[in-house]
Amino acid sequence: MKIIYSWLSDFIENPPSPEDLAAKLGRVGLKVEEIKRTGASFSGVCVGEILKIDKHPNADKLALVDVSDGAGTMRVVCGAKNIAVGQKIPFAKAGAMLSGGELKKAKIRGVESEGMICSASELGLEGYDNTGILVLPETAAPGADAITLFPKADCTLEVEMLPNQSHCLSHYALARELSVFYGLKLSEPEVFSADVSGSSVPVNINVPDLCLRYAAIVIKGVRGARTPDWMADRLRAMGSNPKGNILIDGSNYVMYELGQPTHCFDISKLSGPKIMVRRALTGEMLKTLDGQPLKLDAGMLVIADASKPVALAGVMGGADTAVSDDTDAILIESARFHPPTVRLASKSTGIKSESSYRFERGTDPELTMKAARRLTELIVASVPGAKVEQVTDNYPVAYERPVVEVDPARVNAILGTGIADGEIYACLKAFQPELKDSKPWKFTVPSYRQDIESVWDASEEIARYIGYDVIPAASQMPMLPSSATPQWAVGIEAKNLLAGLGFSEVYNYDFVSARELKACGLEAGGAVEVKNPLSSDYQYMRQSLLPGLLKTLSYNLNRGRESVVIFESGTVYFKKDGGKAEEVHCAGLMSGEFPEGGSWKSGHGSADFYHLKGMMNRLFAGKGGFRFEAPRKAPSYFQPGLCLEMKLGGNSAGFVGKLGSGVAAAFDFKDNNIFYFEIPLSCMAAAWKPEFWQKIAKIKPVSSFPQNWRDLSVVLEEKYDWAELERSFSGVQDLASARLIDVYKGKNIPEGSRSLTVRFTFSSTEKTLNDAEVGARMTAVMDKLTRNFNARLRS
Amino acid sequence: MNATEWKEKLSAIRDSFSVSINNVQTENPEAIELRFLGRKGELALLLRDLKDIPIEERKALGALGNTAKEEMMVRLGALKGVPASAGPAAKPNLDLTLPGWPFPKGTLHPLTVTLNRMTECFAKLGFSVAEGPLIEEDYFNFEALNFPPFHPARDMQDTFYVDVKDASGKDMLLRTHTSPVQIRTMKNQEPPIRIISPGRVFRSEAVDASHSFAFHQIEGLYVDKNVSMADLKWTLEEFMKDLFGSSAKVRFMPSYFPFVEPGAEVEVSCVFCRGKADGPRCPVCKGTGWIELLGAGVVHPNVLKACNYDPAKWSGFAFGAGIERFAMLLFGISDMRMLYENDLRILKQVQ
Repeated sequence: MKIIYSWLSDFIENPPSPEDLAAKLGRVGLKVEEIKRTGASFSGVCVGEILKIDKHPNADKLALVDVSDGAGTMRVVCGAKNIAVGQKIPFAKAGAMLSGGELKKAKIRGVESEGMICSASELGLEGYDNTGILVLPETAAPGADAITLFPKADCTLEVEMLPNQSHCLSHYALARELSVFYGLKLSEPEVFSADVSGSSVPVNINVPDLCLRYAAIVIKGVRGARTPDWMADRLRAMGSNPKGNILIDGSNYVMYELGQPTHCFDISKLSGPKIMVRRALTGEMLKTLDGQPLKLDAGMLVIADASKPVALAGVMGGADTAVSDDTDAILIESARFHPPTVRLASKSTGIKSESSYRFERGTDPELTMKAARRLTELIVASVPGAKVEQVTDNYPVAYERPVVEVDPARVNAILGTGIADGEIYACLKAFQPELKDSKPWKFTVPSYRQDIESVWDASEEIARYIGYDVIPAASQMPMLPSSATPQWAVGIEAKNLLAGLGFSEVYNYDFVSARELKACGLEAGGAVEVKNPLSSDYQYMRQSLLPGLLKTLSYNLNRGRESVVIFESGTVYFKKDGGKAEEVHCAGLMSGEFPEGGSWKSGHGSADFYHLKGMMNRLFAGKGGFRFEAPRKAPSYFQPGLCLEMKLGGNSAGFVGKLGSGVAAAFDFKDNNIFYFEIPLSCMAAAWKPEFWQKIAKIKPVSSFPQNWRDLSVVLEEKYDWAELERSFSGVQDLASARLIDVYKGKNIPEGSRSLTVRFTFSSTEKTLNDAEVGARMTAVMDKLTRNFNARLRS
Repeated sequence: MNATEWKEKLSAIRDSFSVSINNVQTENPEAIELRFLGRKGELALLLRDLKDIPIEERKALGALGNTAKEEMMVRLGALKGVPASAGPAAKPNLDLTLPGWPFPKGTLHPLTVTLNRMTECFAKLGFSVAEGPLIEEDYFNFEALNFPPFHPARDMQDTFYVDVKDASGKDMLLRTHTSPVQIRTMKNQEPPIRIISPGRVFRSEAVDASHSFAFHQIEGLYVDKNVSMADLKWTLEEFMKDLFGSSAKVRFMPSYFPFVEPGAEVEVSCVFCRGKADGPRCPVCKGTGWIELLGAGVVHPNVLKACNYDPAKWSGFAFGAGIERFAMLLFGISDMRMLYENDLRILKQVQ
């Protein structure tokens, strides 16, 4: 909210400087975001007239100018290009105070200058053409003080307003804050104070729970009421656009001044004339001031005349009963409406106004009549023939100020302070001067502070009053053990492992487009949809981390990267049983050169399925019951036949494989050598052991006898896969490991077959195996291979 | 010759080598080299004698002899003004300056690094991690947190809604803050409760250098008997010291969040300029000496009541911070969009 310094100063005696003011407001939680100086603050500058222009004898770009200040003629040196004989200009003599400081006499290139013709910036003026000297209006009288031609020096403060600061939404209200917190003396605005008992326009409140109070003042003879310049200037400084009619401008002025929105009806256009505050009837229409036809419903509160709604209460007035330059008789409305009702109406009609902003935050019920009288005063003062005919205060049930019991011990317990009782009492007294000093204090909350309801609220006021620094950083909190959820713990573990394996972590948004879902072969039907997305790019909640990772891949390939090894951990969303389900997944992909940059030792290679499979082994190392399986149903984004399902303790632990060519094509990749995994972290969380001692695998003793090994190369048909062979070795006596060390196809191997070389390592805990014993065990191995797989020794 | 005699002889050769080296003005370096290290030099002859020594001792003695030889060569080299590594025996067979094997370097995202570090800091202060859903009910995200329906405080958080309804028939929403985890935890647990809840949140805002429609927060909640603003300030000051160094100070300024009362905005003393007024204006704290980092306060009695806690018996504090802001400070990032662009040239810089 904008605050004009001079306006605020109308209500406090001896106001502090703008900077001090900003500091004082900031200390109590009203953050001043900007202080902007406006108007003129120079001195010693008069209107001058240019009589003659000569060349400077020693400088091409300078001129010698004769200037009249009304009394005499002076010669000055000037470098501006836009000077002309006859111009009226701001002329500063030695001693003048300008934006750069005091002006001193100077010799410029050997010629004495008796003053200076000023530009706007030299005068410290904002918003004027600054390309040369500032040219004044023809009508300006030489010798007159130039400052009279400009708005007075002032300041605009931009104050950030929080939703609970409804008591600060005006100049008067901020002055009141300063008076409460800093003891500055508050001045009251001038109001029309006479009581007038006429009742030409009856006012009825049908729904007192939605309209606590309705003050109405009828004024006649207001035709031709113009807005005075000082008021228009202030409204302009507020960023409002004055209309020139005080019936409209005055209403805005009072709102900025006191915080109470008001409205003027043209009585000649009111049917009856009468005023009724009631709920709208469903289907009723209202054309608002901005010309929009609104369809009303029973949830809305309206002001109606004898036949129709004339205003949507607290939000906007109707066009048909609005004042115009021809209006002669008006009814000023100043009311207190139910905040949620105003907010609901503002939301459902989409109309946000300065008025609804204040009403939905809650206005002061004790302010309504004061604001109506203030507006009356402003109108009557500027329209000589105006006559007040009726002052009505409809206030069926008077607002009862809540009483909060304040026990100083409780305040100190909430704040963690040791503030003396006297200090707490002094603070409460600043709000409520008549507060009696008997504990616990019965603090009667001012009507403008409807946010104070409890001792917690009062404690905040006390801390603001004394200063938040009164709260020490001190604690005797007891110790408590710290723990993490399994999902959090395994998430960190997985991230650290993947980063250790060379994956870089990325963060993508949770939103995807229909096109991206489709490109990944995912169904939009099962996806949670955002009802109010920022754009169609962000319409659905991701069901898989794949779209984001592919976008990241694309982004980096487009920037010339040749190797992308990335992962992400994040939430995925599904529709489920009429509701939603969320899972945290961890997914990653490898594409391009691997290892990145290659090596002079081994040349350059590309990432492939076995790299990623090996990484999965590392990721799940030590987690019992991990294995790969042929998937019963692989996600559709994998290339058929190039995907394995992972299992952990019998549960699915996600999939690993090569992406399908359709997915790659949809994202414009040149090939589908993209290897991808996606794992639900819940599988790891289920296997996670919270106790450290349980997580530690017990160390097994090793044999004290040397081990032996033999390599065996066999040729067998390709239909037999390695996992089957490996499983068949179980049961071979003393076999410690069977490690595949070579796979060969080609020369000397029949078509459809391959050669596998396996290193068998034997170890006994009882003795050193001799050649014959090892040979016997190898025979058993070969028997199994021959019998089960029709394998033969490679010659 | 036995091993002991051999060693004594080696020692004697080394001594006389030292004497020669020290008298280099009178002796010529080439002559010294010939005398000790030449093909028929004293050391070469001694090494040849090793053949008479039993095999099990020979190896160790040989190593001693070779070490002595290398030492002598280095000292002679230095004398001749030749760098040690260029000496004939120091010349390696391999170019050790060739690149090592490219073990791939992976990185954690700056937000993960920041989040993990913050979580660790709070774990030391006895805070446990709690988590909650990202698609939330209006009740947990707003109502139970003292944002009544039609309250203007709801304008502080522009909300995304999804096409799923909760049990009461209201549209579910993407949580706008991590605070609903406060409610979920209090409804499931008895005090004392001391939790943090890190995670992702969403607000319908245009993306710019300091805003994103998806970002991260860390929530803190402590509920027990006799919990005060002073406990809160101590906790946050300890946390800030852990993160920004022991000189970090915390300042509270009045502020408003519906679920706390009194409420405070928490600022930390600027560790980047240490609040020095002289010199160029600090770009981080804008010369104020303080950086705004958190919102905090005493748990509002309405929140306790919503969780069936008696506000006369229990009290608590809560705080919340944006992770992005911390990450940007710690990593020196000035544009939040950088955190979601996933440019590996950026991410690979994380140490």
